[in-house]
Amino acid sequence: MSADKIDFDIVGKSVRRRDAFEKVTGEAVFSTDVKLPGMLYAKVLRSPYPHAKIKKIDISKAEQLPGVKAVAYYGNTPRIKFNTSATMTFTVPHLEPVLDQYVFDDIVRYVGDEVAAVAAVSEEIAQQALKLIEVEYEELPAVYDPLEAMKEEAPHIHTGCKEGKNIPGDIVKIDMGDVEQGFAESDLVIEEMFKVPVQKQVQMETQAAVAQVSREGDITVWSTTQTPHPTRMILSRAFGVPHSKIRVLNPPYVGGGFGVRIGCSAKAEPIAVALAMLAKRPVKVVYTREEDFIASDTRHGGYVWAKLGVKKDGTFHALDLKGVLNAGAYCSFSCETPGVLGAMTLSVYRIPHQKYFGHSVYTNTTPAGAMRGFGNPQGIFALESVVDMVAEKLNIDPLELRLKNIMQVGDPWCLPYPCGATGMAECIEKGAKSIGWDRRGKLNKPGATKVRGIGVAIGSHVSNSWPFCVDYDNAYVTIQQDGSVQVACGVPDIGTGTTTTLPQLAAEELGVRFDMVNMTFGDTASTPFDIGSHASRTLYAAGTAVVAAAKDAKQQVLEYAADLLDVSAEKLDMKDSEVFVAQGSDEKRISLKEIAYHAHLRNKQFIGVGRIVPPNSPTWEAHFAEVEVDLQTGQVKVIKLVGAHDVGKAINPAICEGQIEGGLAMGLGYALSEEIRYNDKGKQQNKSISTYFLPTAEDMPEVEAILVESNDPSGPFGAKGVGETGLVPTAPAIANAVYNATGIRFTEIPLTEERVFFALRNNKKS
Amino acid sequence: MSLKMLKFTLNGEPMEVPVSPSDMLVDVLRDKLELTGTKKGCGEGECGACTVIMNGKAVASCLVPALKAMGAEVETVEGVAKEKAHPVQEAFMDLGAVQCGFCIPGMIMSSKALLDENPKPSKEEIREAISGNICRCTGYVKIEKAVEAAAQKLQERG
Repeated sequence: MSADKIDFDIVGKSVRRRDAFEKVTGEAVFSTDVKLPGMLYAKVLRSPYPHAKIKKIDISKAEQLPGVKAVAYYGNTPRIKFNTSATMTFTVPHLEPVLDQYVFDDIVRYVGDEVAAVAAVSEEIAQQALKLIEVEYEELPAVYDPLEAMKEEAPHIHTGCKEGKNIPGDIVKIDMGDVEQGFAESDLVIEEMFKVPVQKQVQMETQAAVAQVSREGDITVWSTTQTPHPTRMILSRAFGVPHSKIRVLNPPYVGGGFGVRIGCSAKAEPIAVALAMLAKRPVKVVYTREEDFIASDTRHGGYVWAKLGVKKDGTFHALDLKGVLNAGAYCSFSCETPGVLGAMTLSVYRIPHQKYFGHSVYTNTTPAGAMRGFGNPQGIFALESVVDMVAEKLNIDPLELRLKNIMQVGDPWCLPYPCGATGMAECIEKGAKSIGWDRRGKLNKPGATKVRGIGVAIGSHVSNSWPFCVDYDNAYVTIQQDGSVQVACGVPDIGTGTTTTLPQLAAEELGVRFDMVNMTFGDTASTPFDIGSHASRTLYAAGTAVVAAAKDAKQQVLEYAADLLDVSAEKLDMKDSEVFVAQGSDEKRISLKEIAYHAHLRNKQFIGVGRIVPPNSPTWEAHFAEVEVDLQTGQVKVIKLVGAHDVGKAINPAICEGQIEGGLAMGLGYALSEEIRYNDKGKQQNKSISTYFLPTAEDMPEVEAILVESNDPSGPFGAKGVGETGLVPTAPAIANAVYNATGIRFTEIPLTEERVFFALRNNKKS
Repeated sequence: MSLKMLKFTLNGEPMEVPVSPSDMLVDVLRDKLELTGTKKGCGEGECGACTVIMNGKAVASCLVPALKAMGAEVETVEGVAKEKAHPVQEAFMDLGAVQCGFCIPGMIMSSKALLDENPKPSKEEIREAISGNICRCTGYVKIEKAVEAAAQKLQERG
């Protein structure tokens, strides 16, 4: 691919999104809109207890209610263990995926766990039928905190934890240099423990699926999944049906992802399939917003310890990092998330001695899984708070301290792929200018009741999940008989603009007009295998496959045209859907339309295939916040947020900015207000939009997204990942700004009015 | 439960549909009339995805009993584009305000209701008008810009 090319035709242009028209007119179809002839509606009976054994369950009265067509529970559904998350399909071979779920079980492990489900001719009847299911529970002891759950006296939530009490999978250990020696050689060592909250994706479309099972046993599932192909693999295992007899597709749009449906959409797909098998009719499952809150994966809350040793001149010398995350009741991505927390947090700075030890712990709370950032925001909150503490102790400007230590190309690090390019210094410089860093420290008058502060935090992320997961991509680029182009790729478009940007890549590589390229996506029946949209990978990884397929198709076209024009293929190129002689003064040209039809009449089509294992590349981002803290109420108001991001190359700048702006908003929520708390009975206390406090338009500060292009040597046309990066360092940037304003270091987020109020009061006392 | 005939004007056309007293407007629109452009994100009036314009006001259709729409003028996202897209829709498309798209019909309706009533809204008025519409993708940045641009365009048109 032409990474050295500077003049692009369509790459780098903010073309209008392909899905925009459908979406502004309401024509775009989502899973929750799907309606099939004879379709039934499902409702799910959920556990009121955090941990209990189902001693007896009687579904007969529910089955007899007129309009009820099926009742599913552990007694009539497959007893095959699986994991609702795609991890069970792409855990790398030396590790074993944790399979700890059934469609329904006779033990419930959190408030909201599935007990049974009903399919009926209407939602009302299904809801009524739930009340007729008689369940006798025997309550079991429950535990909610990961540190408590590791103790000897804590209940076992799952058996078979080989690394320790309630620890799923393997403990992640990373070692480089010798940290003990590193701390001994350091002039200053700062150590702190941080507590991070349970955040929820709150994607706008709740978890949903519609399943249809044919008489032959073929299964079709319309779903909100971010990963149609892996989801097909999960269903294949859970129901013992061959992959080839299952089709999973988006219909075609998905109302947001943010990690909540990498694999199944909570249990929407398996429940829909189980009921459709029993009822022999199509079944629709749509989670209510409350179900989405309490019974679908969250971000991991938990604890992070960071110990940083530095030299007098500010050179970082040793970092010891530890993470204990709350897995909740089922494993989901709880083996991988601590790994990303460690690997990403260790790789922002050049530190010769570093060590990480991290894992998750089962508790009787809603399962935690993937959420945008995937462990990284938890680790970076800890690290970037400690770095700020170091800056103050050494009396070095926080920007200068960071610039001195940031990772450079060629530096040793713990990651198994190279740092190909870094625009971090440029991100820091441009972000500082935007926030007005020079004003820092001169913002407040003595005696003010509202004080301002400015803070910074930086971070990195992946562009892909290789080599942490099985990770490969396939794509077809097929030249149609009229010279138009069909791209087929198995990724969905969860809102990130994939169906616009992948055609941009194909058009650029081929040299055809953008309006001639269309894309098939999000459907296992019409696209080759792809592991899906997650890990900020879609443009970077699936894009690499699309470029490879386009290259293949183009080569075939040029070779065919060579005969027609009587010029060797090496001398030809294509631009604006026309093949021309690029080397020499020959004026011969022929349109792709003519070539394609000429070939068609001679029994030939040009089909490009891209089959790649994508590499990986670090993203770099610097976030800046200006805050105003009300010393009387504890309210923290963010005045301005800046996210300066090295995106490698912005294939579609408007889409890139949109990703960053949305990330900043979610990072703002993580920093200030978003949290699911539990009462002492294990019940979720924040399970509706109005009680969860995510940012509305009125809560947003001035936001600036800055794009920095380092032209990554591994990504398509120089691009890197961007999707998750927008919230990686937002919370510590805000917390550091609050410190700058108040002198109070918060080691726990969110910085709610209440938390800040009490901290201010205690600060005054001391 | 006995059904009643709901008679109202929907996107400029007279409409009659039998509904039960417990039906909410959002469900009648989506399930009975198959106008699925209006989205349901919470069913509790908290997310704004189901926003429609009723008698000139933006309302959460999941909180409106269907029979309350008796005799009313109701406009859904399907009625906004006439021969061409409405300037609000154009601006959302041009300025990159659309991502996953699930909140967008509600955003369009709240924005249109604002501009129908107040052709020169301030930034604060725009924010207030869409503050009941949750978007998790965009941070509202490009949505606000799109509403501003649409207002500008409508003024130029007069």
